[in-house]
This record gives sequence, structure tokens and C-alpha cells, in this order.
Amino acid sequence: MPLVGVRSLVRKPDTERSERPGRAGRLARAFALFALVALTTLLVACSGAKLPTGNEPGSEPAPGITPVAPVSTSGEATLNLYVITFVIAIIVFFLVEGLLLFISFRFRRRKGDDKLPTQTHGNNVLEILWTIVPALVVTGLFVLVVGTLNQEQAISANPAVTIDVTGFQWQWTFEYPDQGLKYTGAGRNGPVMALPVNETVHIRLHSADVIHSFYVPQFLYKLDVIPGRTNEFDVVVQQVGTFAGQCAEFCGIGHADMHFTVQAMSPPDFQTWVAQQQAQESAAPAQPSGAPGAQTVQVSSVSATSGFNPNALTITANQPWTVQLTNADPSVPHNFSIHKANADGSDWLAPVNADGGGSAVYNPPPLAPGDYQFFCSIHPNMVGTLHVQ
Amino acid sequence: MTADSQALPVPHTEEDAHEGHPAQGVNTALLGMLLFIGSEVMFFAGLFGAYFNTRATALGLGQPWPPQGLDTVIEPGIVPIAATIILILSSGTMQWGLWRIRKGDRTGMNRALALTLIMGITFLLLQAYDYLSLVSDHGFGINSGIYGSLFFTMTGFHGAHVFGGVVGISVILLRGLNGQFSAKHHIAVEAVSAYWHFVDIVWIGLFTTLYFLK
Amino acid sequence: MATTALAPRAAVGYGRRSWLYQWLTTTDHKKIGAMYITTAFGFFLLGGIFALIIRSELALPGIQFVDPETYNQLFTIHGTTMIFLFVMPMMTGLANYIVPLQIGAADMAFPRINALSFWMIPLGGMILFSGYLLGGAADAGWTGYAPLSEQSGTGVDLWIASLTLLGMSSVLGSINFLATIFKMRAPGMTLLRMPIFVWNTLVTSVLLLFSVPVLTAGLMMLFIDRNYGGGFFDPALGGNPILWQNVFWFFGHPEVYVLILPAFGIVTEILPVFSRKPLFGYKAFVFATSAIGALGFTVWAHHMFTTGAVYLPYFSFFTFLISVPTGIKFFNWLGTMWGGKLRFDTPLLYSLGFISLFLIGGLDGAFLAVVPFDFHVQDTYWVVSHLHYVLVAGSVFGIFAGLFYWFPKMTGRALNERLGKIQFWVLFVGTNLAFFPMHLLGLDGMVRRIVDYAPNPGWTELNFTSTIGAFTIAVSILPFLWNVFITLRSPRTASDDPWDGNTLEWATTSPPPPYNFDTLPAIRSERPLFDLKHGTAAAHAVALPALAGTTDDETRADAPDKPAEDTK
Repeated sequence: MPLVGVRSLVRKPDTERSERPGRAGRLARAFALFALVALTTLLVACSGAKLPTGNEPGSEPAPGITPVAPVSTSGEATLNLYVITFVIAIIVFFLVEGLLLFISFRFRRRKGDDKLPTQTHGNNVLEILWTIVPALVVTGLFVLVVGTLNQEQAISANPAVTIDVTGFQWQWTFEYPDQGLKYTGAGRNGPVMALPVNETVHIRLHSADVIHSFYVPQFLYKLDVIPGRTNEFDVVVQQVGTFAGQCAEFCGIGHADMHFTVQAMSPPDFQTWVAQQQAQESAAPAQPSGAPGAQTVQVSSVSATSGFNPNALTITANQPWTVQLTNADPSVPHNFSIHKANADGSDWLAPVNADGGGSAVYNPPPLAPGDYQFFCSIHPNMVGTLHVQ
Repeated sequence: MTADSQALPVPHTEEDAHEGHPAQGVNTALLGMLLFIGSEVMFFAGLFGAYFNTRATALGLGQPWPPQGLDTVIEPGIVPIAATIILILSSGTMQWGLWRIRKGDRTGMNRALALTLIMGITFLLLQAYDYLSLVSDHGFGINSGIYGSLFFTMTGFHGAHVFGGVVGISVILLRGLNGQFSAKHHIAVEAVSAYWHFVDIVWIGLFTTLYFLK
Repeated sequence: MATTALAPRAAVGYGRRSWLYQWLTTTDHKKIGAMYITTAFGFFLLGGIFALIIRSELALPGIQFVDPETYNQLFTIHGTTMIFLFVMPMMTGLANYIVPLQIGAADMAFPRINALSFWMIPLGGMILFSGYLLGGAADAGWTGYAPLSEQSGTGVDLWIASLTLLGMSSVLGSINFLATIFKMRAPGMTLLRMPIFVWNTLVTSVLLLFSVPVLTAGLMMLFIDRNYGGGFFDPALGGNPILWQNVFWFFGHPEVYVLILPAFGIVTEILPVFSRKPLFGYKAFVFATSAIGALGFTVWAHHMFTTGAVYLPYFSFFTFLISVPTGIKFFNWLGTMWGGKLRFDTPLLYSLGFISLFLIGGLDGAFLAVVPFDFHVQDTYWVVSHLHYVLVAGSVFGIFAGLFYWFPKMTGRALNERLGKIQFWVLFVGTNLAFFPMHLLGLDGMVRRIVDYAPNPGWTELNFTSTIGAFTIAVSILPFLWNVFITLRSPRTASDDPWDGNTLEWATTSPPPPYNFDTLPAIRSERPLFDLKHGTAAAHAVALPALAGTTDDETRADAPDKPAEDTK
């Protein structure tokens, strides 16, 4: 019965069937332009499209119409949900756009036709249909979402590794409490988080200041790092490789530079890495010793936004010297590094950090006369001037 | 053209637009005040929401609420209770004044408004006294953690709204003393009265939440 | 086009007061509406320039033009300006001008408060931008998340003051619209005979009335934290950063419906007129608009899925649900055009552009309801793509549709069609070039609010394309500015009813006299002017074979001597 109705709506009334559209006209040209634009846009979009085949070592997939290839179990589940949603969305998209184009052509006003068309006010059956069907579709999708969520949010009682992540403006500290490891990143690339593949890794997130977000695109997952709250999640990485990570919650002027890397390795390799790290930490000298009577400068790091105090220092050229850094910032680590202070012109980066409220002693190399800039490698905006004369 | 085209009276006089006819529902200006009160309810809803969210979060984490050491600072002592009683009574006098003017009794209304005004100012003074004693005797201020911030912000904005009401009552009292109201024309009194009741109800909510429920 | 038989008196003069004094002290909703529209457009250009600077910086990796602090101020002010100083005042201006006309009233319910509401806009704008003169503008994003916003300089205090003032303007405006709509409709205009644009204004006003005060509460708390040692959002003092997000988004989500519902309303006005058919499913439009408004208050935490502090299934479900009334509107728009006789003038072009591209923005949003996917793309360029599709392809296209549609009514001159069409196509291409690539960047993990990005494969090309799109959008504004300029200088030749409209604003001169109407047609349906011109009998369909599911009075011809029905 309904089919009869719909067909009669589509059938042209007799008066119009004999009319032929005249020359192409501006509308056809407009449509051609639109099609060209749409096609171009689609081509641009699909130019990088790849079905997820996994990482090739050493290369990153180009952007496409699917998310970056996932490397974790929950990432796989997310990708599946995406594909289902995408298929539904594409159908809806082409349905509506197709109807729109069809209507624009089929029901355009022909020249000189001023007769009123049939004044239909509505159609209850259709309206009920296009209320109920979308409601059913989204409910179905919702059920799938809840199923995947329950999987994803599960926390294992026995993770293989637990890692405490502290995010602060604008760097990351990774701590492995069970292995006794703790280190902070330096510079734009940040620290590397090693973890074993195919085992449950439990990650706890802490913030020292504002809200950050722990985001690894190839996990297809992020979780916010919120002061006063410990967020945690489990991840099982299925692929060996190096994956980029970045802070994904706007956190101030260094937000764009708050990166880190995840390095997933086989469990034996991970154990080797842990052993190496532990060896390094115990071998590192607690306090580098300076030559007695060497010139010493004292400087305090105030905060990431306020910089150093004093922010101008003077030393004698070509003499050994020592920096005593007092970190007046209660909760954020800082250090004392110097731009272009190495013999090869590269930056001299501090080997250790001063913890929040702590201190550190540095022995930078003797310097040739001139003006240098010292800085905190964790917060590169913290700078001061070093006069060497 | 078969349809009729009438010259229909378009309401464009002040009378028509703002006074309306009794059968056509609530007066326009009063509607405006009621809508405004609706928005102010949402303002306090935001503050109450913050209070209950903070409280629930603390209790959910197994922390005491009010926070450690602050559980006896806010007590329903003689000053807050007196202030509450006065404010509630002032709603009564306000309403009585409204009933009076609806019957055309200007003098009765003026007396009621004057009484309401005095009680409103008294409430503000009692609140100020309460604030001072909290700050000087208990060292409890807006910067005493989240609890202090919530208490002073919520009661403070309420006090500001009471002050607004006091200003409103002063205006209609002056107008009333000037003979500007009658049984048929007193929409400003209706509006201020509605606002004053709103202020009172918010206080009852605040008093219950901050002083008793805690 | 058909003109009406109504002929108001010539406009009454204003006497000896100067032109400037008249405009500064006016309480005429038409003048106030015009000031809103002009001011909003000025802020559109300003916010647009900020966007161009942002996109210039992002065209290539590396930092070329602006340092990180400046960049953070740029995107904060861009977002705040476009939302609070452009889209909202623009919509308010169009509604201010048109709603009283469409309901047959002489002015708004509270004309002086109307004027006050307007003047708060330029003042609020000045306060916001004064940050640049006072040590730095706000730089914590238009969302001002704590505790970051508690660290910032004076700019954020000015942002708070500005938003408080602009919020008050919106609340007063909402009170005005609601009182006007409920109390000042012409006799015969029941609620279910109001134009849909008026319905959308009604629902928008309800949303603002109940959501803006919550924002104000949050702003007060933030101000107290920043300046009086308050501890609302500082965990060290027992506060909770998530509280800010809950309070902000309780306002913020209804706010986005505030930004789009008027555009829905404009498109819903234009389609029936340019299809020469009635709206398909008028009651469904009313229902859908109300449902979107109500549901708008239930989904705020879908902006917070990644905080770990949200009950995910509830918010996911309601977010999905909101797509149903939106879908109803889409299908009803298509149904309105189906079987019609479309005239492709610029208002219709913009409406079609709106439907075709807002669809993308809406579908993007449906993706975001898929919580695990949101975990991936929250705070990435996917969200930036979504919000710009709904705001540019949605609100801005709707605004231009409305401007082209109502320009003749407001000024007595119709904008040039050729220039309008050029503008449309350039804007259409520019919008897609600017915002489509952002989908791909988001899927690939490019986060938002960063001044610089890594030169990952494809990122430079996509960002560069997006920048080209942004400049294309900017270029498209030029024909519009020229159009307005030459049109305003041409003589007033527009008739009362240049588009063969259905609603009451076309039943008076262009522009209307100060008191709007001398006489009004009888109001027996949602298309009083159509009824006047074509007779109520023609308002109903000619006889068709029996269609299952259709109701009698829609498709059966009225017997000639039957009185006109005023259902539907």
C-alpha cells in the first residue's frame, strides 16, 4: 500500500512531462562545479586512505579516512566500532545528499511555471518511520558501544607492569615502582616509556599542576591527567615498535611540546631494558664533584613562568665552574642547561634534574668568552643570560 | 482573493501591551519578572550543584564533610536563626502589603512595605555580623579551602540578591508614598513581591543545606 | 511577485533629533536588530582575521609568525569572539527584527531592556579585547578549563567580566523574547500557527534563560579562585577541577544548540517559500525543536568522556538520542522541497548548502557519541572539524541565508543575486577545503590547541590545504561586502513581498514603518499571507488517489463551500 503512495508522488504530473529542460543553464554548470569540488575533496580525503594493515617498522601511515592503525587490543575494538559507525554514516550521507541532489534537479521550477504545486502538509506514516528507524539504529549502535566499553574499561587484578605517569608543565615523569625506576624527560621529545608486548600494563596518571592528557594515537586511546585525581587504565600492546605520544589537553605555552614515546618490546627485551636502567641509576654519581675553590654560581629556579632568579650570571672564561641550583618551585622539577655551550656548538643539557623543592649541583664545561643563554631543558621558555668574560 | 482581510486591532498602546486583560493570563511585566526569577533560580542551582558535587566527591573518597576541623564552624546559632525568622516574616509582611494594595488600601501597603524594608535591612545587618564573627573568631573566610569558598560565595550572592530586593522595595515604597499605586495599577508591587519570595525561598534552601544538612 | 492589498501610511518622521541621537537612544526593535546585525558582523570580520593568523601559523610545521603565548591568546579570543560576539548577537539581531513582525506585534515586550541588551554587546566586546592593552588577552581557551585558567594573567579576569556582561545581555534578551512571544501575538495566531523561526527563537530563549546563569555561577567561582583565594577548582584547597568542567558544560552544551537552532529556524522559513509548498510536518518541527532543547540539557558530560569522572553509558545514550529529532528535521526539510517548484535564489542556495554540509557536522557528532572513538579523537582536530562544520556550514550558512532573505525587508533593497551566488560557491568550496582535512588529521592523532605540530606524513599537506580553505572563506566575504555596499547605495525598489512569502513580515512595507503594521490579514494557519494571496482553499492539496497514512485534511480537496480548516 505505501509503495503505491510513494510511486505516485514520484510520477510526474502530465503537464510537466512534455516539457524538456532547455539548454544546460546555470544550474547544470553549478552542479558540475559542485561535483568537481566534491570529487576533489573526496580524492584529497582518500589519497591517504589505507586499510589498517599494521605498522611497517620505521614508517608511519599517512592520514586516511580510518584512524591510525591501532597497536593495542582495545584499539582494535575501537577501530571495529569506528568501521561500523562509518558504514552507517556513509549510507546516511549518500542517502541525504543523493536525495538533495535529486530534489534540486527533479523539482526545480521550470521557466514561466507559476502554478502552485501540490500543497502537501505532511505524511504521518513517513514521519513516524523516519523517527523510529533512526531511533532503532542509534540504540543498536549504543548497545555495541556499551559492550566495547565494558571490555575496554576492565582493570586487571594482576598487571605485568605498573607505571606511574606524572604530567606537569610541560614534561612527563615515568616511574616504575616495582622496578625502582624513575626518570623525567628532557626537551621536546620527552621520555621513553618501555613496556612489554602482549602483557597487561597498568598505567596510573597523576598531575602536578593543571589538567593534561595522556594520549597515544596508536592506542586509539587517551585519558586525562587531572590534579587531585588518579586516573588509571590497562593496555595490552600487541605490536613491537615505537609509538608517539603527546599531551592532549591544553595546558599552557608548552602544550605543543609535551611529547613522549612508547617503546613496546618483547618481554625478554623489556627485562633486559629494566636491568640496564637499574644499573645506570645505581652507577650515576649522586653529586658531581667540582674542583675545590672552583668558581661557584648560585641560582634558583622559581617557576616555569617566572624563570630563574637571578636571570643574569657572570663567570670567568676558561675556568672550571660549578652551578648550585636551588629549586624554589615546590612541585615541578627544573634543571640548569646552557645553549650552544658544547665544543661542537650543541646545547649542554643538564645530566640530572632538581626535584620540586630540591637542589642539584652541575659542572658545565669551561666556556670561551661571550654571552650564552642558560635555560631549563624541561621548560625551554625559562631562560637567563650567562656572561662569560 | 476570497480570504477576508480585516483591519485587526494591533496592540500598540502601553495599556494593551503591558496591562493586558485579566482573561488573557499573567501580566506581561510580571511575566518578565517571573522569567527573570527563573534565570536566577538557575544561578543558585549552579552554586548548589557545586556544593553537592563537592560534598558527594569528598564523601565518595571517604573524606569528612565538612572538611577536617571545620565541622563546627557553621552552626545554627542565635544570629543565623534570628536572621532566618526575620526574613521569613518579611515575606509575610510583603505579601500582606500586596493583599492590601489589591484592595486599594495604599496606607496599609505602605506600612507593610516599610516593615518589610526594615526587616530586609535587618537581615543584611545580621548576615554582616555573622560574617565578621566567622572571620575574626574562627578565622574562617572565603579562602578557607573549598568549604569556606562555597559558604561565603553562596550566602554572599544571596545577600547581594537581598540587597537588590531591598533596593526594589525602597523604590516601590517611595512610589507608594507618592500615591502611584491603586487597586488596578500596582504591577511593580506584584513583581517585587514575587522577587522577595524567591529570595526568601533561596535562603530557606541555603539555611537548610549549609547549617543543618552540611 | 504578488503584493498585498495592505498599504501602511508613510513612515512618521522623527522630528528634529539628530541621526546619531536617534540611533543611540532608539528602542525600536528594527533599529536595535540592525545594530545587533552590524555589530555582530564586525566581530565576525575581527574573529575571522584571528582565524587567518592561526591558519597562517599552522600552514607549515615549525613556528613562523607567533610565539606560543600569542597563539594561545589567538585561539581563545577567536573562539570567544565568534561564539559570543558574532553568532549569538547576529541571531539575536535577526530575531529582534523579524520575530515581532512575524507575530504581528508592534515591538518587543520590553523595548528599553531590548536596547540595554544590545549596548551590552559592544561593551562586552571592548572588555574582552581590552586585554591586549592591559598585559595580554585571555589565553586559557574559550572553555577556560581550571586550573589552567587560574594561572593566567589579567586577560582571564577580563574574559570573565566580558562573558558575565554578555551573558546578562542574553538572559535579558531571552526574557524579552519569551514575554513577546507569549503575550504579544496578533489575534488568531495560536502557538501552533507561529512561524517556525519564532518557535526556534522561543526554544533558544528557554535554553539561554536556564543555561547562562549556570555559566555565570561558574565564572563567579573562577573569579573568586583567581582573586580571593577561593578553592573551588584547586585540589590543594579541597577543590575539584572537574567541577569547572561540569558547570561550564552544563551551560556549554545548551549553548551549542543556541548557536544552531536559529539557523534551523531560518532555513525552515526559506524552504517553504522557495519551494512554494507548505512546511512538511509543521508539528514535527515543533516537536523536534522542543526535543532538541530538552535533550540539550541532558548531554553535557559528553565533552568530558576522557576525564574518567563521567557515567559514560548515560551520556552516550542521550547524545545518540539527540540525533533523532535532528534527523526528523532533515527529512522534513527534504519533504518540504519534494514535489515543489524550487527557485534557486541565493537564500535557497545557502539553505541547501546548509543542509548538505551541516549533515557532515552532525554525523561527526554522532561518531563522538561512540565513546571509545571519542577516547581517540577528543581534543584532536576531529573535534575542530566537527565544531566548524556545525558552526560555519551550519550557523554561518544559515546566517547568510537569513541575511539574503530578509535584506529586502530590512532595507527596501534586494542584495545582488549574481554576487550572492559567487559568494556562496566560494564559501562552499572554502568551507570544505578548510575543515574537511581536519577529519583526517584528527583520525591520525593531531591534537588541538597546539601552535606547532610534528611534520608527520601528510600533516603538512592537510594543514596547508586547510589554510588555503581558510583564506578562500575570507575571499568569499569580499563579494558580500561589495554587495552590501552597492545595494545600500541603490534606490529602494523592493516591494513588500519580493519572495512571495508566507508569513506576516511580508505583509507590510519594506522596510516597515516604525509601528510595523497598519492592518493585518486574518490569521488562520501558519501561512497567513499565503492564505491571503491564494485563498485558504488553495492551501490544501488537490485531489490525489488515496495515500496510506495521510490524513484527510492534508490531501483531500476541501469541498468549495467547506470552511477552511485550521489544523496542521
